[in-house]
Amino acid sequence: MWKKAILLSLREKKIFTVFALIYTILIFLSSLFIELGIGGQLGESALFFILIFFTTSLILSLLYAWILVSRRRRVWATFKCIGYTNKNIIILVSGIILFTTLMGFFIVIEVLFHYAAIVAYLNSAEINLDIKILIGLVPVIVTSGMFIFVQLIALIVVYRKVLKVRPIIALKRVGG
Amino acid sequence: MVFAKDIMIEAIDINKEYRRAGAIIRALVDINLRVKSGEFVIVQGPTGCGKSTLLNVLSGLDLPDSGRVIFDGENIARATEDRLSKIRRQKIGFVFQDYNLVNSLTAIENIEALLWPTVLSNKEIENRSIAALRDVNLLERKDHHPVQLSGGEKQRVGLARAIIHRPRVILADEPTGNLDPESETHVMELLKKINKDTETTVIVVTHRTHLNKYADKIIKMDKGRIIKIE
Repeated sequence: MWKKAILLSLREKKIFTVFALIYTILIFLSSLFIELGIGGQLGESALFFILIFFTTSLILSLLYAWILVSRRRRVWATFKCIGYTNKNIIILVSGIILFTTLMGFFIVIEVLFHYAAIVAYLNSAEINLDIKILIGLVPVIVTSGMFIFVQLIALIVVYRKVLKVRPIIALKRVGG
Repeated sequence: MVFAKDIMIEAIDINKEYRRAGAIIRALVDINLRVKSGEFVIVQGPTGCGKSTLLNVLSGLDLPDSGRVIFDGENIARATEDRLSKIRRQKIGFVFQDYNLVNSLTAIENIEALLWPTVLSNKEIENRSIAALRDVNLLERKDHHPVQLSGGEKQRVGLARAIIHRPRVILADEPTGNLDPESETHVMELLKKINKDTETTVIVVTHRTHLNKYADKIIKMDKGRIIKIE
């Protein structure tokens, strides 16, 4: 079922791309501010920004979950009609949300690898521009872990909404 | 003589009421009926007569206020939601008037989706889906998305989805309601063929009387009551 959640998220290209990019930006900024916070460059304001990013992530996850469940009630109702349990549906919805976040994480890692490669190249070519590694791997992993934790809250809300989707909705006429 | 093992669905003293705008609507009144295994049944009646409610109650999608629904020997009127899901996944195939296909999935994926929660391997699921598409003469359209299919083709995909798990019963709510006469004939003949070849019980809710020729039994309803069984 997790694989099918990935299939479903990839098929919804527009919404997947938009949310994956927003998560990418949020993970990147949160990681950056954690890195700056650890280095003591921003003082207490780093914590303030990190909190803003995590709150934004929570709101975003709730919005994503709402879009997935409420705006596609007919799809989930049809799935219930043909024999899906609430658990089956929550696995699909959770899979879609978690995969989108993980995609954001992988994009950030990819960007940082490319950045590090450029820095390494410039150093090896003895072109000294005084560029340092932007963000270490640990802040990115910590940020992604915390984002996934934040999403668990959204998934609890989603579960309640999934329970409320009645299979009988699938039999109602469109527009009727 | 009808033996218990020959009866696929039995409704006993079913009553169902709704509240709408403060008024109580008696959707089903003292319904008693038996559907035998392998029978092709058409439920007919005017709009609002309770035929769709009857279909919902017979499939466990809606619970009666009183009475019992014995589905393949089991009283589903008091079954848990998980048990009802399992019964629907294993024993019932649904055909919807509005097709209810997922637009982002291809025809074959829409059919496969029914078996995603099962323990079957991907290869087995694919093989069964191909066989189901072949049964409805739509194999060449397997990679098309619903928006690329005509109404009749969408309904045939819906029909393939309804038979992929080899159900005991197919329940169709106005399956030809959105189709042109040619597609209607095609879909009804497919339903009849499945009914004959596999002895699957088929229950079709429709208001179209010209479809009566496909039925072994016609149940006529009015104001929540069965007024005639032919």
